[in-house]
Amino acid sequence: MTYLMRLPKFEYLGPRSLAEVCGAIAGPSGNEVMLLAGGTDAILQMRRRERVPRRVVGLKGVAELDFVREEADGGVAIGAMTTLRSLVHDPRIAARYDLLRETAAQIGGHELRNVATIGGNIAGALPCADLPPALMTLGARIRLSSARGDRWLALDEFFPEFGRTVARADELLSEIGLPRPAPRSGGTYLKFHDRQSMDMTVVGVSAWVALDDEGRTCRDLRLAYANSAPTVFRAKRAEAVLRGQALTDEGLEAVAEAACGESRPRTSWRANGAYRLELIAALTRRAIRRAWDKAASQGGAKS
Amino acid sequence: MSEFVAVSLSVNGVRYDVAIRPWRTLLEVLRETLAMTGTKRSCGEGQCGACTVLLDGDAVNACLYLAVEAQGREILTIEGPAGGDPVLEQIQASFANNGAVQCGFCTPGMVMITKDLLSHNDAPSEDEIRDALVGHLCRCTGYVQIVEAIRDAAGALARRAGD
Repeated sequence: MTYLMRLPKFEYLGPRSLAEVCGAIAGPSGNEVMLLAGGTDAILQMRRRERVPRRVVGLKGVAELDFVREEADGGVAIGAMTTLRSLVHDPRIAARYDLLRETAAQIGGHELRNVATIGGNIAGALPCADLPPALMTLGARIRLSSARGDRWLALDEFFPEFGRTVARADELLSEIGLPRPAPRSGGTYLKFHDRQSMDMTVVGVSAWVALDDEGRTCRDLRLAYANSAPTVFRAKRAEAVLRGQALTDEGLEAVAEAACGESRPRTSWRANGAYRLELIAALTRRAIRRAWDKAASQGGAKS
Repeated sequence: MSEFVAVSLSVNGVRYDVAIRPWRTLLEVLRETLAMTGTKRSCGEGQCGACTVLLDGDAVNACLYLAVEAQGREILTIEGPAGGDPVLEQIQASFANNGAVQCGFCTPGMVMITKDLLSHNDAPSEDEIRDALVGHLCRCTGYVQIVEAIRDAAGALARRAGD
């Protein structure tokens, strides 16, 4: 009867600035402190007693973490507390990173997208999260902030193992940086799940393709997967298979096979491992085709 | 040290100063502290939409929102028409007139998501209406009438705006 359960007792802090957040999580507090972004996953985890923090630091009042900003180098910076709804509606995201818009639009219903944030979807470190694969294939970097200062790292390096990130207890994910879109590039995110966008992702595949100047062969391919291993990951061997080549059925088959070789899907009540491998292969082929079409339809300027 | 924190909540235009425990959800505080039981508790995990309320005009699941974090925001619940919200009144009339209410348990959430939808889109297509309902379950399965009711409400409000 999980649904009837109260949340565990905790002390609540509601800082108003990034500096206050860093101060609240500084020091040797460890797992007793939990950062609460949108809370759509974290509140459920507390209700199930998967997480029982002594202190909760709520981030909803930190307005400076809610922004989309165009950068001088042609990229875009996104604050960690930007909601999925904002990602879906922001014209700068739609124009240049349609893959991100499309992925956010596939998550949950309106109520969830109004509250859930890009930072929470990443920092929750769930293997089924949909934004991390899309962001990895877009080449996202993330900023970790603490009272000691900031550091940037590639999102690819953020998830060392199931349910964990490389962020230290005194750090929070504060910003996501996307590079300027490559010419003739495009991406798509495909996921398999039961009930429209409301159910958990069984397998999700993000494919991003950049084509050569004539739009005929693959300059670069990136692939990242949700719920296909204990963490979201880039399938780097599969990515190399098509480089420099035109799109063929045999080539797609070889990429799908390599991607399955790099995956370690688990068996759960949602789907068994062998079925997930079938999904990984099918969705990989389909996603690359769609990403390729998107890239081919782009001029030289946009993603 | 007291577990209670002082919170000021604005619900349907009325300010309520309450002392609550910080781990209480907005749903629990609405139903148990403020005795506003129109907002329903069902799945408790954001799947069913029975607890949908509006925060500053945007629909949220009250079961997944801490009450302390709703401070400083305008909360609108199904009890809203008591405050004289003409859009909510029209939506409710359209639900009643189109047979969109069977057991009624999902209705408050359905009405609130409709209010959110129509405030951002005054002429939604059927696809847009169904997309708005994606986070809502009606176990009487009366979705067709609910979609018709929403279309009817949109039309009635548009006609009224045109007068």
